[in-house]
Amino acid sequence: MATAPTPIVIDRPDQDESVSPDTPWIVLVWNDPINLMSYVTFVLQKLFGYSLEKATELMLDVHQKGRAVVSNGTREKTELDVFRLHEHGLWATMQRDGS
Amino acid sequence: MARKPKPPVERTKSGFRLNLQNEERDLVLRLMGELRALLLGPNEDHRLRRLFPTAYHQPGDQAMDDEYQRLMREDLVASRLTGLNLVDECLGETSDDSAPLSEAQLLAFVQALNGLRLVLGTMLDVGEDDDPEDIGDDHPLAGEHHLYGFLSWLLDWCIRALQS
Repeated sequence: MATAPTPIVIDRPDQDESVSPDTPWIVLVWNDPINLMSYVTFVLQKLFGYSLEKATELMLDVHQKGRAVVSNGTREKTELDVFRLHEHGLWATMQRDGS
Repeated sequence: MARKPKPPVERTKSGFRLNLQNEERDLVLRLMGELRALLLGPNEDHRLRRLFPTAYHQPGDQAMDDEYQRLMREDLVASRLTGLNLVDECLGETSDDSAPLSEAQLLAFVQALNGLRLVLGTMLDVGEDDDPEDIGDDHPLAGEHHLYGFLSWLLDWCIRALQS
């Protein structure tokens, strides 16, 4: 992932990030060398309502570990999440949780 | 004392202002026109690869990915074209230069800029460890790399403005 200056902190409330135990699909965002780190953080905030801290943590997981789980839910819900991430140019895929 | 240069994008009381030189604005619009032409061209153009990624990456899910690509590709193209139209309305020849951009217009601009970076980055085969400093003026693709750097710089300023 391309580096960029540290994003400016904005005041945005934390969202409920709890994971339902029976949701069968997860959405992964994968590291890529083109998308800016600041852009990935911004998109995760915008699409999922994550706080800057949470979005930055996920972005760093993507950058350092190669991927991060950014959402979960039913197949229909996660497919829509993947579509919205693709609309924004992120490399996102989905799979059954635990597979 | 030297005056501090204006950022290329800034939040104002009434929206966002782009402080681009005319030639920078013309360049961005021309590139967005080229992106539009690519989106309306053949599906298999490899330069578009990153705009239409795989959704279901596991080997056993190929049929679901085929269905996703069949159903969603058209929507992804339509979404990008809508964004490019919005950018044209606020930056094109018939736009009012003094009018501020709304947040929706700047978001469309951001997505279009990122689409351009994805295409140009694919063409340049940008890698994780590539350093722009390594690209000298004698590099055969120096112009394209400078363009990529310009788009990255502009995109980053747009995000700063949106988060300010």
